[in-house]
Amino acid sequence: MRYVKLPRENTHIFLERLKEWGKLYAPVKISEKFYDFREVEDVGKVEFHYNRTIMPPKKFFFKPREKLFEFDLSKQEYRETIRGVEPFVLFGVHACDIFGLKILDTVYLDEFPDKYYKVRREKGIIIGISCMPDEYCFCNLRETDFADDGFDLFFHELPDGWLVRVGSPKGHRIVDKSIKLFEEVTTEDICAFREFEKKRSEAFSYHEDWGDLRYLLELEMEHPMWEEESEKCLACGICNTTCPTCRCYEVQDIVNLDGRTGFRERRWDSCQFRSHGLVAGGHNFRPTKKDRFMNRYLCKNSYNEKLGLSFCVGCGRCTYFCPAGIRFVRNLRTILGLEERSCPSKIVEEIPKKGFAYAENIRGEDV
Amino acid sequence: MEEKIKIGFYALTSCYGCQLQLAMMDELLQLISNAEIVCWYMLDGKSLEDEPVDIAFIEGSVSTEEEVELVKKIRENAKIVVAVGSCAVQGGVQSWEQDKNLEDLWKTVYGDGKVKFQPKMAEPVSKYIKVDYNIYGCPPEKRDFLYALGTFLVGSWPEDIDYPVCLECRLNGNPCVLLERGEPCLGPITRAGCDARCPAYGIACIGCRGAIDYDVAWFDSLARVFREKGLTREEILERMRIFNAHNPKLEEMVEKIFGGESQ
Repeated sequence: MRYVKLPRENTHIFLERLKEWGKLYAPVKISEKFYDFREVEDVGKVEFHYNRTIMPPKKFFFKPREKLFEFDLSKQEYRETIRGVEPFVLFGVHACDIFGLKILDTVYLDEFPDKYYKVRREKGIIIGISCMPDEYCFCNLRETDFADDGFDLFFHELPDGWLVRVGSPKGHRIVDKSIKLFEEVTTEDICAFREFEKKRSEAFSYHEDWGDLRYLLELEMEHPMWEEESEKCLACGICNTTCPTCRCYEVQDIVNLDGRTGFRERRWDSCQFRSHGLVAGGHNFRPTKKDRFMNRYLCKNSYNEKLGLSFCVGCGRCTYFCPAGIRFVRNLRTILGLEERSCPSKIVEEIPKKGFAYAENIRGEDV
Repeated sequence: MEEKIKIGFYALTSCYGCQLQLAMMDELLQLISNAEIVCWYMLDGKSLEDEPVDIAFIEGSVSTEEEVELVKKIRENAKIVVAVGSCAVQGGVQSWEQDKNLEDLWKTVYGDGKVKFQPKMAEPVSKYIKVDYNIYGCPPEKRDFLYALGTFLVGSWPEDIDYPVCLECRLNGNPCVLLERGEPCLGPITRAGCDARCPAYGIACIGCRGAIDYDVAWFDSLARVFREKGLTREEILERMRIFNAHNPKLEEMVEKIFGGESQ
């Protein structure tokens, strides 16, 4: 890997140069406490030490709301409406969010490629940035706290600038085009980088093994935590819509008043909504709030075979932005037996075990 | 389309803002070749109120004895009845004070004035007749009207909205006024479709589109959050009732959080 150093005084000049590669988006403050990735005119507004953006970077690739195509019933044909996507630069992406995009890639590129996602992914330049965890971060437990790939450049903070890892051919070109802004990495810089990484890894709230979490979740379907915590839930879906890896969408056809032409639109969906599990005939796979609440926990903690990781990258958004104050990590730690009052869970005999793990009718052939 | 679809727009007690909103849509011009407007006084003074139609849109709350008869007649005449706006769907803001008695309310508004109709407490249209579809809002969104009508035109059935305003705040990347500023935003229990217009301007949702149906409006969970932010039981009930006075679950669910505390 190639390493270069960007001295602090050149940071804003470099950001300005990045605009030559496409529209520049970076984290900025959008309200008293919250940040979001927005288009940047004044590079002085870019936040280098933000905790987390309210919307994850997936919004640039998998649009919150998107027209897919237009149709004409009289001609029985449809016309794709995706316009020429211009290159753009996403500066200041945390490692967890880079992993978030890698997880989306396994679904939207590796399975059945989603052309709307794909075209934007090809045009997007990703520049990562190092960060110090706050009390909501648990990416260390998800092994997503350091990105090996999935970026064009990655900025690691030094006392007097940035140690930059170059992660792609495009990253090389970006550096080469502004080579006069960069310096060689010195021994002091390496020490500073090592120091930063050490400090960072020590700053996490928890240092423990979550390896058996997904199995415990399945085994503890009757744990009282589910009832208590889902009671608090507003089912607003914010945990899903702020999640860097939630990828469900809903589709609707909208017909114009000529009764002939119209368009198909998709928008982000949430498994906390009633209609998410609703199918033809009115059956609902997840009829209660508790079912829907559990679904997210199981989905996020399931195993992404391609990456060998869980679908949760530990960014902390679902807790930080939950208006009901539900704490994802605490609930998971309850199941893991790492919080108080965990083992054995109160309910053992009275209520029949009926979760997935206990289902009698789920068997292979001839079993 | 061989036969023109017959449409009627009827008004009960309301501000007429719903039909104004819809009458001003340029897209209506597209409709002319497909539809015959049998009754819509705002568009045509020669409207006929007692004629069969395919789709009847009703705005306003049922607030007089005469209107009870009118909605029954509309139902008999129509294949599809669509309630339009928060008055028709939820009884409107005029239902807010439904705990008070009619005479007191009447006196406050009209004093000793005489009117030619027999007043009643305001109620949603669905209290008297079967309503097939709802278009929500105060006033409703153009988009919802276009979607419903367009879908009817192709012989399909439009979907109902069963998810909260919070979704649209997130789709638009707004900050959260409930979380960040502790404002009593009703977004989590209110039907989406407004594109989170008020929260987008930093104003807490007052729930004009009504609480979500299908038992997924979690008044209890939201009351818990409001309570933690310092709101009293009365303040919570008052706010949630603005557009949901007739909701049968509201009070019981809020009470659950306050656990029968004395008033």
